[in-house]
Amino acid sequence: MGIELQGITKTYDSKQAPVLSDINAEIQDGELFVIVGPSGCGKSTLLRMIAGIIPISAGVLKINGQVMNGVSPKDRNLSMVFQSYALYPFLTVADNVAFGLKARKMAPAEIEQRVNDALSMVDLTEYRDRKPRALSGGQRQRVALARAIASDSKICLMDEPLSNLDAQLRVQMRAEIRELQRKLNLTLIYVTHDQTEAMTMADHVMVLHDQQVQQIASPLTIYNQPANSFVAQFFGTPQINLLTANTAGTQASPRLTMTNELQLDLDKPLAAGTYTVGIRPNALSCRPVADDDGNATVINVETLGDQTIIEAVLDDDTEVRIVEAGQVHVALAQRVLVTALGPAFIFDETDTLIAEKRGLQDARVVAVN
Amino acid sequence: MLESLPSTKKTQPTSSHEPQAQPQVKSPVASFELRKNDKYYAWLFLGPSLLLLSIFVFYPMLRTLYLSLFLTDNFGEPTVFVGLQNYLHLLKSAPYLASLKATTTYVVGVASLTIVFGLLLAAMANQKLRGIEFFRTIFTATMGVSVSVSAIFWLFMFNPTIGVLNQVIMFFGHQPIAWLTTPGWAMVAVIVTSVWMHLGFTFLLFFGALQSVPKSLYDAADVAGASSRYQFWHITLPMISPTMFFVAVITLISAFKSFGLIDLMTAGGPTNATNLLVYRIYKDAFMNGNYAQASTESIILAIIIALITLIQFKLLAKRVNY
Amino acid sequence: MTKLTNSLKRYWQVVGLAVIVILGFSVFGYARTQVHAASGRTKIVFWHEMKGPGQKQLNSFITAFNKSQTKYEVVPQFQGSYNAVIQKIMNTHGTTASPAVFQSMDISSSQMYHSGYTVPVQKFIDRDNYDISQISSVARGVATRNNKLLAMPFNTSQTTLFYNAGLLKKYGIKPLPVSPSYSDISRVSSQLYQKSNHKIKGMSVEAYSWLFEQFLSNANEEFANHHDGHVGIADKVKFTGPVAIESMKWLQGRVKAGDFMNYGNSKNEMAAFLSGKLGLFMQTSADTSLLIKGLGKDLGVTYYPHPDGVKPNGISVGGASMWIANDKSATVQEGAWQFIKFLVSAQTQAKWEKATGYLAINNKATQEPVLKQLYAKYPMTKIPGDQLKSAKANYTNSGIFVDGVVAARALIENAMQQIYAGKDVKQSLQTAENSYNKVLKSTNRANGHG
Repeated sequence: MGIELQGITKTYDSKQAPVLSDINAEIQDGELFVIVGPSGCGKSTLLRMIAGIIPISAGVLKINGQVMNGVSPKDRNLSMVFQSYALYPFLTVADNVAFGLKARKMAPAEIEQRVNDALSMVDLTEYRDRKPRALSGGQRQRVALARAIASDSKICLMDEPLSNLDAQLRVQMRAEIRELQRKLNLTLIYVTHDQTEAMTMADHVMVLHDQQVQQIASPLTIYNQPANSFVAQFFGTPQINLLTANTAGTQASPRLTMTNELQLDLDKPLAAGTYTVGIRPNALSCRPVADDDGNATVINVETLGDQTIIEAVLDDDTEVRIVEAGQVHVALAQRVLVTALGPAFIFDETDTLIAEKRGLQDARVVAVN
Repeated sequence: MLESLPSTKKTQPTSSHEPQAQPQVKSPVASFELRKNDKYYAWLFLGPSLLLLSIFVFYPMLRTLYLSLFLTDNFGEPTVFVGLQNYLHLLKSAPYLASLKATTTYVVGVASLTIVFGLLLAAMANQKLRGIEFFRTIFTATMGVSVSVSAIFWLFMFNPTIGVLNQVIMFFGHQPIAWLTTPGWAMVAVIVTSVWMHLGFTFLLFFGALQSVPKSLYDAADVAGASSRYQFWHITLPMISPTMFFVAVITLISAFKSFGLIDLMTAGGPTNATNLLVYRIYKDAFMNGNYAQASTESIILAIIIALITLIQFKLLAKRVNY
Repeated sequence: MTKLTNSLKRYWQVVGLAVIVILGFSVFGYARTQVHAASGRTKIVFWHEMKGPGQKQLNSFITAFNKSQTKYEVVPQFQGSYNAVIQKIMNTHGTTASPAVFQSMDISSSQMYHSGYTVPVQKFIDRDNYDISQISSVARGVATRNNKLLAMPFNTSQTTLFYNAGLLKKYGIKPLPVSPSYSDISRVSSQLYQKSNHKIKGMSVEAYSWLFEQFLSNANEEFANHHDGHVGIADKVKFTGPVAIESMKWLQGRVKAGDFMNYGNSKNEMAAFLSGKLGLFMQTSADTSLLIKGLGKDLGVTYYPHPDGVKPNGISVGGASMWIANDKSATVQEGAWQFIKFLVSAQTQAKWEKATGYLAINNKATQEPVLKQLYAKYPMTKIPGDQLKSAKANYTNSGIFVDGVVAARALIENAMQQIYAGKDVKQSLQTAENSYNKVLKSTNRANGHG
């Protein structure tokens, strides 16, 4: 059954454009569904509408087949973890976890049992009598999780729960949340602006941008078949290279020329026009050449240890990012020859994916000269 | 010489993480120099304020204590030493005890009603409604009104013949109330006026406190299934309890000090029903010229306020901190 | 170490600067108190407690006095209430802040006399052979000790009963006689209350000790022993004499009957009276000018009430006298005396009575055209003066010569409020009497009188 969003729209002021328009999605029971997008895209708004904290302007929200528009938050039988954790500073850890249970007037023994279980599940049993201010960031995060766990509802909403943690802790908590979700068989809707979290945790990802859904798919599909250039750009580090390309001549042609330096031959001809070609940095390669040779000049090199990111300027002033495996030594201002190795995505004028080329060889995308 | 200090400090073992139990070993010359300078500076900086405090605080306090042990003549000079007789006499005197009781009623009434109504107004102003900014301004308005102006304003309201309150009462066919000349009503009248005066500032404090409670706490409670009333008692109140404590302390002390209001509205009457301790002190000293008795009353009042403040801190401080 | 010394030097410069600034201000402040040297006139600082029309008229007298001569300049300083000014004098005497001449009320006479802070005006009267017989003898009685005049009466009033003659006419009620008894008043008050269908309160007597004292005066009952302190240091008071009880029982009876209303203060009382919601009340004759402004010829005035079947003894004067302080130079004292003579001249007093309702204490004042015209236009304004003249000065109508009567007044007012609120008359007065006897005992002890 899960959760169904049908044409969900949010307008704050009737005179203004909606902040979210016509959102459709179906979230399956027991899946970890990530809503991802840049800040201001309306992802938290969407989550709050699902929680019932703010009203839905138009559209239908169904949970387990029942229409939930206008139902108060407490009757939607879900739990929520906030970006700020929303812990009550005057209550101990255990009382924070018990807050909702007490508000619902649950039997004390039952509350005690649930609080203990939840705290042990997040490893906080020994901190149960501390106040939040005496906890580290990660521990506070866990209290918030424990509170969601204790509520025993099968749907859990999380609003950027890891954004206040440092990088290492974030990696650790990612795994812990994923594990909890599986163990408790939660339907988890997880909002984040971080594509890594989306990629690593999600069963399905919804990409939100410009008040609209850009794509809903599994992480790999999103990476391998981005619906449009925005999605392509949003996923993958370093960012995908987007190059402007034109068909050769005035008639439909299978050959696309991106700049004067690179061109691409497709299986099928494309109508004459301008296209955008996306090539991921790791699908490009470069080789140092003599000073008056090659098609690009290196302007920046970042050595990460296991890979090297090279930024180069093609001779027509287009910047490209190239990822080489391992530690590559390239000097700045070095002349290089940039060639393509891997898949390429072709987007039309409306930025929609219309074709892709997989496993390209040097011969297919070749350097001119 | 100053440059050599760091090196002498380095002789200390620094490996242990535990606080040092044994005293720091320093070069004797350096420590002597430092101490001497510290003292010098201490007196330099404390001197002016100590001098002012001695003249304007310590001396008057000691003088008051001294006067309270004597009878004073028409010139205010202590003439006959009576020991604690002034205190014993006062604590057995029915009018003084009545004054003490009236002060208690007044102070408790003012403090509690100010907190309740201040919070009520703040909670109302905290709603997101159209035009609420206007009310926020209005609610703080009494802050800008001086004691004398508000006393006169309320004197008009309470006027038995032409006052608005009695006009309303008579409109509904009831007998007019002699607000300021009936003992019970007079107390009500001064409490109402005092609460009204305190309300602006209290409102502002509570409103600020309410605004600073993170919205997410309420969102979380909404999702968790807490009703609005439950949220008020279990989130709002605990979150603003430090402010509440602060308001309680300042309102209580301010109520104890109410003078202008009483002087202008009832002058302590009728039948001493609103003769608060502070006002009594003023009358005894500057009307009746009985400085000994006024001094005795001052000392007793000082002790009462000190005790109450102490109790407030002991009792409440525990509950409001987080 | 040199760094420290340097910063110390800097610090001392700051301190030095502060000291210079403070010194500068004090010199400036001192210079301000010495301004009279510059104007060439001797400055006579005058403390008074007059408000409203009294203050206005007093200021114009001062302007006139300053214009009339070139040696002195009287500088008026308003000091608030009669009650507070005694303590201010006690606390400032001998300092530059104290006045050369001040206005002090009737019941403070004893305390001023005992303080030794003043020069009896008798000294100047004797020196100048000033004709003191022109000043009303009852008015002088309040500030006289051993036949010596201590201070010059200035603003003298009589406690007066005011009634709304217009209302009485409207409801067909027989007006009050000129010297009413308690029952005359009860009759008018209750008729007005009944006939107006309870819309109008019949009467009010402010819980004000002065009015209580006058009930005793008018029936020749003593307030304190040693003839109200006129012949020795009083050490006992009596608030429970037959007249005290009778008058208070009478008022309590009116409260119970419903036609009496306690307005709390004279301002509320006057507001009710002027708006036609109150039939009669008793206050100082100094209110007359304000009341005439409001009611015009409808204002009724009578003598202060007396118990039924008792011949009225006359009442003490109210108001205040002019005292000359002895902490100023002979020149300043002389200036104060000249100013006082100006204030009590027949001309000045006539203007004073017309402007305020205080009674002209200069017997020649009634011959002045100002007063003749006033009496012709508003005959009722003559009544308080007649009351004053009708009485022969004796101990009980010459004020109370006891130190610290202010405290006694507070106790009596408390008792009056209790009585109005329905408490037992005898018991309320007895409590006040006992309390004040204790106060008196300790006051006398502290002042070396007992």
